[in-house]
Amino acid sequence: MVNQTAQSSMNWSRINRGLIYAVLLTAALFYLLPLVVMVLTSFKTMDDIRSGNLISWPTEFVFDAWSKAWSTACTGVRCEGVEGYFWNSVQIVVPAVLISTFLGALNGYVFTKWKFRGSELLFGLLLFGCFIPFQVVLLPMAQTLGLLGLANTTAGLVFVHIVYGMAFTTLFFRNFYINIPGELVKAAQLDGAGFFTIFWRILLPISGPIIVVTIIWQTTQIWNDFLFGVVYGSGDTQPITVALNNLVNTSTGVKEYNVHMAAAIIAGLPTLLVYVLAGKYFVRGLTAGSVKG
Amino acid sequence: MAALEIQNVRKTYGGKTEVLKGINISIEKGEFLILVGPSGCGKSTLMNSIAGLEEITDGAILIGGEDVSGRSPKDRDIAMVFQSYALYPSMNVRDNISFGLEMRKVPKDERTAEVERVAKMLQIEHLLDRKPSQLSGGQRQRVAMGRALARKPKIYLFDEPLSNLDAKLRVEMRTEIKKLHQNLGTTIVYVTHDQIEAMTLADRIAVMKDGIVQQFGTPQEIYDEPANIFVAGFMGSPAMNFIPVQIQNEGGGLVAKVTTRDGRTYSLPLGERGACLTNYVGKQVTLGLRPERVTQVNPHEVERADVMVLEAEIDMVEPTGPDTVMHIHLNGTEVSCRVAPDSAGKLGEKMNLMLDLSKAVFFDIESQARIG
Repeated sequence: MVNQTAQSSMNWSRINRGLIYAVLLTAALFYLLPLVVMVLTSFKTMDDIRSGNLISWPTEFVFDAWSKAWSTACTGVRCEGVEGYFWNSVQIVVPAVLISTFLGALNGYVFTKWKFRGSELLFGLLLFGCFIPFQVVLLPMAQTLGLLGLANTTAGLVFVHIVYGMAFTTLFFRNFYINIPGELVKAAQLDGAGFFTIFWRILLPISGPIIVVTIIWQTTQIWNDFLFGVVYGSGDTQPITVALNNLVNTSTGVKEYNVHMAAAIIAGLPTLLVYVLAGKYFVRGLTAGSVKG
Repeated sequence: MAALEIQNVRKTYGGKTEVLKGINISIEKGEFLILVGPSGCGKSTLMNSIAGLEEITDGAILIGGEDVSGRSPKDRDIAMVFQSYALYPSMNVRDNISFGLEMRKVPKDERTAEVERVAKMLQIEHLLDRKPSQLSGGQRQRVAMGRALARKPKIYLFDEPLSNLDAKLRVEMRTEIKKLHQNLGTTIVYVTHDQIEAMTLADRIAVMKDGIVQQFGTPQEIYDEPANIFVAGFMGSPAMNFIPVQIQNEGGGLVAKVTTRDGRTYSLPLGERGACLTNYVGKQVTLGLRPERVTQVNPHEVERADVMVLEAEIDMVEPTGPDTVMHIHLNGTEVSCRVAPDSAGKLGEKMNLMLDLSKAVFFDIESQARIG
């Protein structure tokens, strides 16, 4: 009797497990399908696309679409592929991410360890930045960039992303540092360390997890940004997202789906790469501080 | 010249909440000062003020005769051991200890020598390359002390350094701190809420409550001659008994009247201790009697003039090992007695107990201050 119950409960747990895997697999396939279609299409020839169906295997794998997307496809009047724009994006993302992360760390440090009269209010106001829709700041920002002489430049786009990203990065670092005991800072003060020495030598070395989180977040945000790129960048300084849009909308007769797909994958690759390389730190970092380490 | 002098220090938050209400303390070089009191009494604020981590609203703090009230923490030549140890997580033990020296631009070879010296003294040489996260509580404690010792400052501040350790380790480290102080002759200010730590370690104790120093004196003074009911009740475990009694003049001497629960009244002869009570004849006062003064009857002491034997019913028995604590009722208040385990009676029994009034103290009921 007892054995039978154990047996049947084991059977049930197997069935349950099987069901769970089935559901998960279906969901994974469903979400992966667009990517599969994109990858397959990018390796097809135009004839293949016209004749076959959407998810059919390519009759032969060709890299023509990829090389065309990278170096000869037309984005608007110019036909130099997305290569230049890809590097534009890199030039925008790298400084913007590094600077906004650094400023966020510094802000978080001040808001938790060097509180001053009104610092909570200031932090609250800064948090508003997280909730302001992009569209609201378009005109005033355009004006500001004009005044600063940064209109239509890479530096201008970097500046916009730093300002906009700082609200988030500050929030991340502030919430991380609030869990670091204040006694650490007091001890360093007594040891004779000043404001920046404490930041560099004591706090930054233990900020690894939150730095990774912030960098992933900012890289994704800035790389994927379209609106700021299309408004404040022009011609040579436009990021890849804008180029991709132009490429798809430039019609010279035939819609080259394979080229579009290849370009889209190129545009998405860096953020994908960041997630693959640092994704586990992202999850770890988001939960860091919840348990005393 | 005093090593540390605290002159009329006040600290107010936001102009309303007064945390320190005029503190005056002065200790000599090499003295071990303990600030003790319940949480919220201002002892940690006072310590942070000495360290310079908090600004004082009024008064002055002098270290080695120099007014340091306006100076930043690093310019006060003090070192501090924190309750959480506050070891720098990213640095190994060696760097933790030498960080303060590095900040003060001590040359590298001197730093190395100093780390060696401190590590040897605290027996942490084998831990020098470990990170704080790889250390046990006791080891972290040692490193935290090592960090303070490395700089040889004028004053060491200890902020409840033992409260995160388990009971056994706490006693061990307590002894070690005492030894360290005896060997090095350093001036130490030590905050704790543990009255046993205060008694065992201190040369001088400042008992604080509500931002006021209730009493400042040697451990024995504080134990034997507490300034008021708060100090008397805070220091000592089990706590001092407070019995409301009436003072009367009987047969040429003053006595305190006590009644057991079964209604028998005794006159406790006050002897010399009663000399200060002449103005209180016929009035109520609070009699303070430590539990170790209420014991089993010791025949050789019974003859003394300030000793009295009475019979009382036992309400509770708590064996502690070396003695057994029993509770009886006198004048409607619970009184704990410290009895040799072999002589202890059982719950509900009646037992003869000896009250030794040679160290009795009396408190005014209104002001709660000690009389005399």
